[in-house]
Amino acid sequence: MVLEMRNIQKSFGEKKVLQGVSLRAEGGKAFGLLGRNGAGKTTSIRILMHVFPANGGEVLFDGAPIDYNKVQFGYLPEERGLYPKKKIIDQLVYFAELKGMDYKSAVRSVDYWLNRLGMTEYRNKRLDTLSKGNQQKIQLITALAHDPHVVILDEPFSGLDPVNAMLLKDVVREVIAKGKIVLFSSHQMNYIEEFCDSIAILNGGKVALSGDLHEIKRNYPRNRLVIRSTQSDAIATRFGEACQQGKDGELLLTLASPDEKQSIMKLLAETYDIDEMKVFEPSLNDIFVEYAEKEV
Amino acid sequence: MKQFRKILKFELKNYLQSKSFVGITVFLALAIAVVMFFPRIAENFKKDKADSAPKDRETLLLVDQTEYAPLTEEAFAVAFGKYEVKKAQSVAVVEELITKGEAECAFVLESLTSYTYWVNNLSMYDTNTQVADEVLKELYRTVSMTNAGLSAEEVQNIMTAQIQSQVKTLGVDQMQNYWYTYIMIFALYMVILLYGQMVATNVATEKSSRAMEVLVTSADPVAMMFGKVLSSCLAGFTQLLVIFGTAMVSFNLNKGYWDAEGVITAMFDMPAELLIYMLLFFVLGFLIYAFMFGAVGSTASKLEDISTSVMPITMLFVVGFVVVMISMTANTVDTLLMKICSFVPFTAPMAMFTRIAMSTVPAHEIAISVGLLAASVVGVGILSAKIYRIGVLLYGTPPKFGAICKALRQA
Repeated sequence: MVLEMRNIQKSFGEKKVLQGVSLRAEGGKAFGLLGRNGAGKTTSIRILMHVFPANGGEVLFDGAPIDYNKVQFGYLPEERGLYPKKKIIDQLVYFAELKGMDYKSAVRSVDYWLNRLGMTEYRNKRLDTLSKGNQQKIQLITALAHDPHVVILDEPFSGLDPVNAMLLKDVVREVIAKGKIVLFSSHQMNYIEEFCDSIAILNGGKVALSGDLHEIKRNYPRNRLVIRSTQSDAIATRFGEACQQGKDGELLLTLASPDEKQSIMKLLAETYDIDEMKVFEPSLNDIFVEYAEKEV
Repeated sequence: MKQFRKILKFELKNYLQSKSFVGITVFLALAIAVVMFFPRIAENFKKDKADSAPKDRETLLLVDQTEYAPLTEEAFAVAFGKYEVKKAQSVAVVEELITKGEAECAFVLESLTSYTYWVNNLSMYDTNTQVADEVLKELYRTVSMTNAGLSAEEVQNIMTAQIQSQVKTLGVDQMQNYWYTYIMIFALYMVILLYGQMVATNVATEKSSRAMEVLVTSADPVAMMFGKVLSSCLAGFTQLLVIFGTAMVSFNLNKGYWDAEGVITAMFDMPAELLIYMLLFFVLGFLIYAFMFGAVGSTASKLEDISTSVMPITMLFVVGFVVVMISMTANTVDTLLMKICSFVPFTAPMAMFTRIAMSTVPAHEIAISVGLLAASVVGVGILSAKIYRIGVLLYGTPPKFGAICKALRQA
């Protein structure tokens, strides 16, 4: 399964929210949709789910224009909320039925997920009697109960305690293993890094960076060294402006070109007392800050 | 279609399981049953009273200074049944007894055409002088005719002459239909404002609890809007059916006790044709407003905003209501204004029904009005679904009317 957005344009009044966004997410893999607040993530998701049409561009599923009667979506919105005054089982079955399930299979599926998430004891309780984290688990069921092709999770880990976060991670892995397309939108980069094979960073309604996360990291200029040494001051003095303070007392040394790497490392190892020395690989957080903070 | 059914079922269950809905329905049904049983209950009480203690009658004094003493006394005793009529000798006695409270009032007759009425406190509702006027007029005529040489029998015939009359209605009986119309307009007024508010609140609640985020990605907005509105319509009708059904049953159980009340009896004897028109206009009127309320509800992000957002719709409805009510009470249901109102879909349910009930309307006018209304219901329904789709995702201050129109054109 492949879900694609091609050159999607969307404006609200005079405001251009999306200006030619193209994305590609594959089944059995997780895709991370990143961007600062207001970058156009939610609008992209809503267009993907056909909440409103785009002004231009197309959404494709397996290469053909998507048929929303056939492709099912599961969505955990960032703004959580269901019917606070209704019984949990009633509303979960209702949502599953709205997605096309018949009553019996809806009940069966909801019961499976309640059990899977350890929520069976709350089955007949009202939603507003639950804690926030538990309400979020209930809401996750609305995204999964109808066994959708595409699962879109917007900030799925916010508000969960570490045990529940672990449980959710297991569930997400299961869903990916089943070959579903999983689309993450989150500001918690560690989770994106843990799950997502490919990412797209939106900035000002445009894709600032997209592709395979490993490749992105590998293709990052390998012209910086991270050095931990007892003689940091001496090294800093020697290299002057090329040397910056990193975190935890590390030094970050920018080379004139990646080709110098070998020789400089040799020089450092021979001259100073070095504890650790490696080529700098950016974290997703670094990449995000770099691409998302520029004004487009 | 399947989605629409699920939504309808879910929403209808919401209404029927709500404690306030059940409570209000039961309360109103009981209240109307009590009203219908009232004459029966009252009669039982009356009987009890009559058996136990006959009421003391107040005293009315009569000072007769004319030469027709026995005649006047007799006539006053008959006319003032609720008083004990006693003769008194002089004005002084009258004054004394009334002041002491031993008599309530007194008539001092100077002649058959003039008298003085004595009373301690003159009540606003005191009609004694009018009664006395009638009694004396009749006496005066009788005496005059007898004096003129007519026999007692002839006088009797003249005085009790009866006029035979019949009414043949070719159009409608306004007097009778007035009450159906009155009830229908009021019921429509209450049900539309009540349920319209409910639909708007329902939509806004989903929005403020953010359940909308999932809903809008799960269901087609048209199915959503129609499901919500039709379920409220069904709930409303269930409620009306229970209330009017109870009224009907308890009226028929007590029919004998209501014979004296022509208006009430007539009300339960509505012609089938009028009933059908009533249902038709009721349903269509309900739907067109419920759709508008739903659309407005979707543009409010907080429940507090609802009351201001629905204001224009409420105003529109109230204006129609006032025009119809004024025309009805002034008995001018065929004015130009009413004619226009009976074709404008937003006022047609009230105005056209009123015209049908209280005047004679050509069939083609009814057909045009119903056709326009039905088409508008569908149109407003679809339009409101579109507004709903746009409105539910807008948070913050409710959008201006113009902004919605702009968004609609783009969608």
